[in-house]
Amino acid sequence: MPKRALIMHPYDNVATAVEEIQAGEDVAVPTGATTISLQALEAIPFGFKIAIQAIPSGQIIRKYGETIGTANTEIRKGALVHIHNLEGTRARGDLAKRGAA
Amino acid sequence: MSFLGYVRRDGSVGTRNHVLVIPQGIIAKAVCDFVAGTKGLLTTDHGSGRTAHDREQIARVLIGLGRNPNVAAVIVHAASPGAGYPELKPERIADEIASSGKRVEMLDPTKDGGTYGAIMKGIKLARELVYEASKQRRVEVGDEHLCIGVKCGYSDTTSGIAGNPAVGYLYDKIVAAGGTALFGETTEVIGAEQALARRAATPEIAQAILDAVAATEERAKASGQDIRTINPVPSNIKGGISSLEEKSLGAIHKAGTALIQGVLQYAEHPPCKGLFFVNNWMGHLSIFAGYAAAGANMVLFQLGGGGVAGRTLLEGSPSIVAPFLWATANPRTYAAAQDSVDFYSGTVIEGKETPEEAGERFYRIVTDIASGTLSRSETLYYTEPVDMYLEEPRF
Repeated sequence: MPKRALIMHPYDNVATAVEEIQAGEDVAVPTGATTISLQALEAIPFGFKIAIQAIPSGQIIRKYGETIGTANTEIRKGALVHIHNLEGTRARGDLAKRGAA
Repeated sequence: MSFLGYVRRDGSVGTRNHVLVIPQGIIAKAVCDFVAGTKGLLTTDHGSGRTAHDREQIARVLIGLGRNPNVAAVIVHAASPGAGYPELKPERIADEIASSGKRVEMLDPTKDGGTYGAIMKGIKLARELVYEASKQRRVEVGDEHLCIGVKCGYSDTTSGIAGNPAVGYLYDKIVAAGGTALFGETTEVIGAEQALARRAATPEIAQAILDAVAATEERAKASGQDIRTINPVPSNIKGGISSLEEKSLGAIHKAGTALIQGVLQYAEHPPCKGLFFVNNWMGHLSIFAGYAAAGANMVLFQLGGGGVAGRTLLEGSPSIVAPFLWATANPRTYAAAQDSVDFYSGTVIEGKETPEEAGERFYRIVTDIASGTLSRSETLYYTEPVDMYLEEPRF
């Protein structure tokens, strides 16, 4: 049985694991009529996000059909997406300070 | 749908029938400790050294709690450090509560024989007030008398997938029934403000939402700090949330899909029924007191909990007079804290219930608790102190 991960909107390029997923396991992402099948490149803990397509560095990461940040490195399909490779862009005082300096 | 509530003279309906003793202090504490059926505040925010804006905010909390339909009668004492300010004069607080038609009594140590005398008089009065209040019976009323406030906290990805959507379903039903529903937490709208503004009832309300979010984002930027080290908070990140935007987009699901009828300040009473955005702060020790002061006769905490270790007994946050419900969609949180949780929607993630079935079950639980069934946190005396949401510096 593949492990389950959910997308929130058809535009999403990440899905949320609703089971513990180990590296190398098959993952099924239901999208209404069809199911996206992929393989986890690394462990995806419950509640964490897996890239369901390759996301080039600098590209927008989408969940709920909206922007949740940008990729700060190339993210491979099946990789864990979290604070190590996703960068939030809103309310960033550190960036504002750097811009002002 | 309907529930059993206490109809007040101003037409509002309570889900509880408390006697409130305010503001905080030794007189209120002594009276509440001695007399069953009373409620008091525990807070250090008494107004001394605060700006006029913040003193008015404190006054709104005190007056609003007194006017809350869950309160049958009120005792106001004059022994608060803030009582000398015009905004916080005990007579003003008492008058604005009494204009709702409920009985308000005053205690003044300078006239009642000092602190000891005021306590003795207060105990005697409070006993009479709770006795009189107990004669009132619940009657069946429509769900348009529900007024509910929500916060999501210790959020993880179950919050956005199932927990907040279940609250959203509940909110849509309450608003459709003609009731009132409050949500807020402006920091956690950053990144989701366009989606919310599209749901405003008028262009002016849409602009007010965008303005409130922009002002909060500007303050965050002015701090010079990386918001990711502040919010999402560490427990959010441990629960799988990667950015403030992701947290916000999950958080706004709790507002359902109804039109937004206005933007309210902290502890401000809504001018009509419907869904309102409250420009408040997420802190769980302040937000529920603000909702109760705005007239909420019930409040909800939608809990993620994925990043929280060993949190098995969920204690009550200070909603003072409004019953407080815990909801979660995280199976591990639920397994760890089943006897504290009023509603579990992880069934949706597990494929055991549709979102609609979970939402309908939630609605029945809410109307049961509105009718008098205790919320789990109401079975404890323990509640955290109130940290009122004040926005200006102290001097």
